Amino acid sequence: MNDETKQQINQKYERELQRGERFWPDSIFKDAIMALAIFILLVLLATFVGIHDSPKADPSDTSYVPRPEWYFLFLFKFLALYGQIPVLGTIEWIAAVLIPGVAIGLLTLLPFIDKSPRRYYAKRALPLGIMGIMVLGFVLLTMLADYPTLASDGSHLPGILQTIAAIVIPLLAYIIFTVMAYTLRERAARGITVTAILSGVLMTGFTVLAMVLYPLPVKEKVEVPTTLVDQIMVGQDFYSLHCLECHGDDGSVTVIEGVEGLEGAFTSAISSRDVLYTVNDASMSEIIAYGRPDSGMPPLGKAYNPEGLTRAEIDYIVIFMRHAWDDRFEMPEIKPLFPPLADTEVPSYDVHIAPIVKRYCLSCHRPGKDSNAYFMDTYENILDSGDNADMNVIAGDENGYLLLTIQGQVILDETGQEISGIMPPKGTLKPDVIDAFRRWVLMGMPRTAEDAAGLAWPTP
Amino acid sequence: MRSTLWKNIFAWLDERLGLNDMYKNVLDRPEPLGNWWNTLGSASLFLFLLQGATGIFLTVYYTPSPDHAYDSIQYIMNEVAFGWLIRGIHHWGASLMVLVVFIHMLRTFVTASYKYPRELTWLVGIGLLLLTVAMGFTGYLLPWHQMAYWATIVGTQIAGSVPFLGDFILQSLRGGPDLSALTLQRFFAAHIWILPALLAALIGVHLYLIIKHGESHFPDKED
Repeated sequence: MNDETKQQINQKYERELQRGERFWPDSIFKDAIMALAIFILLVLLATFVGIHDSPKADPSDTSYVPRPEWYFLFLFKFLALYGQIPVLGTIEWIAAVLIPGVAIGLLTLLPFIDKSPRRYYAKRALPLGIMGIMVLGFVLLTMLADYPTLASDGSHLPGILQTIAAIVIPLLAYIIFTVMAYTLRERAARGITVTAILSGVLMTGFTVLAMVLYPLPVKEKVEVPTTLVDQIMVGQDFYSLHCLECHGDDGSVTVIEGVEGLEGAFTSAISSRDVLYTVNDASMSEIIAYGRPDSGMPPLGKAYNPEGLTRAEIDYIVIFMRHAWDDRFEMPEIKPLFPPLADTEVPSYDVHIAPIVKRYCLSCHRPGKDSNAYFMDTYENILDSGDNADMNVIAGDENGYLLLTIQGQVILDETGQEISGIMPPKGTLKPDVIDAFRRWVLMGMPRTAEDAAGLAWPTP
Repeated sequence: MRSTLWKNIFAWLDERLGLNDMYKNVLDRPEPLGNWWNTLGSASLFLFLLQGATGIFLTVYYTPSPDHAYDSIQYIMNEVAFGWLIRGIHHWGASLMVLVVFIHMLRTFVTASYKYPRELTWLVGIGLLLLTVAMGFTGYLLPWHQMAYWATIVGTQIAGSVPFLGDFILQSLRGGPDLSALTLQRFFAAHIWILPALLAALIGVHLYLIIKHGESHFPDKED
């Protein structure tokens, strides 16, 4: 750039200043309003949207699907699409380091690459076109981030569509822009604008096509317990599922009964002061995670047991134990396991029976446990699974095995052999739980709250 | 009587600090006609200051160790008075800052404000953009939750895929071959000391250059 051009630029700027505004107060005023608007927006977001909860980090839980902050999603998706390309896709650093590095390098050196003094938009079609398509590509990649690249039938079509939308068309557009800029020179603006609009429409079209043909898979929502009461309740459920069989519902068992392989084994009463006062939280969760191999306690941590618990889930068990049994802790008011039943109300599986089963039955009656193959993990399994599927739950019949055993009856076959002992094997269910089971079975096992709402329990 | 007292105090301070010169050089400047697109730079600065202020509050309760980081943030969210608000602003402010700084860069690109005499301002600005993203990356790990942990595993792995230097970069980022307490500690140090110090220094240079050259005008057909 020669001195004459520089002088021209400086003179033009002087003229602009002449007909301009003052920094104070004109510009500052707008800046202040902008700052205020941003502050209000942030307060509103913090108050009404809040922060998405995620459980505590757990290095052993390798099944967790990582997901970066939203402003890295485009790069994440770009890498995923690039990885689909045969041969080239295996050289990860090209997409992970080289391409972003070159892009950042070009952006940084921009003033030294684009040295022409021209600033008006129509004279800068090439840089504007490239940046426009690139930003649109970022936006589309971000939107596509969660969409799978493989269809459920194994076809690569979604990945191919996405690659066309966000990588192939932009690449072609950059090439056409550059060719136009260097052949048409001053007259390139119109051609580049038309190409840019066309590419933009095509990119958006392919993105929409990929989204419509292969929609987002339904994601399971994981609720993270954040309040103490929720954590205690979740902890109690995990305790019931994994610990209760040996340690009993009040943690007072010292000699294990009725557990295959551990019959007669000794254990400490884990609700006693001896244990609770001498073992701190960290050691307690380590014991649960690692187990006690010498005395037969299996490890429950996910790192040692594929069906085990994450660190956070083990912590909830410890929180439950402290608040339920440790006299140095006060138990907060806990919500009832299921909403109490009104006089004529009929319970449903979703609202009442599922939490009861989870608390009292599931620790034994689930796949992997020997319980006459009767599994209670789903509605269907409760109704018909196991060796005595026909007899377990019979709509409207008091003599189904489930209702008999929870009310203290042993089931015998014709030869006097025991088919099933009383349930649960140790202790008895509370009267309101038995009542809920009776109403549910006798009224035909309604599944949802709506199913149950149409029924009425005949009160004497 | 009182007004002369204030005048005397001001005169005394002005003699020593040069308040009037400052006013003339910094505030009372002519500028080309601007519009709302010109507020993005100051909005970025405002967000930086807001992140600094809320971040300082958060360090009062936050503990950078794998055993306590998660719980200390639960404590901030549930127990500390207005802790949820401070963290909420910091959390959303981070996202907004990345967005605003990026759009600010786009605006500068579109109006070609990076050209003579503002090339250095652009260079420093790119540094600020990259530092802002680095702040986002280091800050994301600090809550030590599942998302943060596994995103950082992947993020550092990507940085580690550089040919030849990859292993060195990976180990320097993580403080060892694995993501550990050391990683959290050095991300924390980077997030609250190293990167903000660099940001503040570069912001100083950026502001000096803006005052020195004035804000650019929107180009018209003559440009």
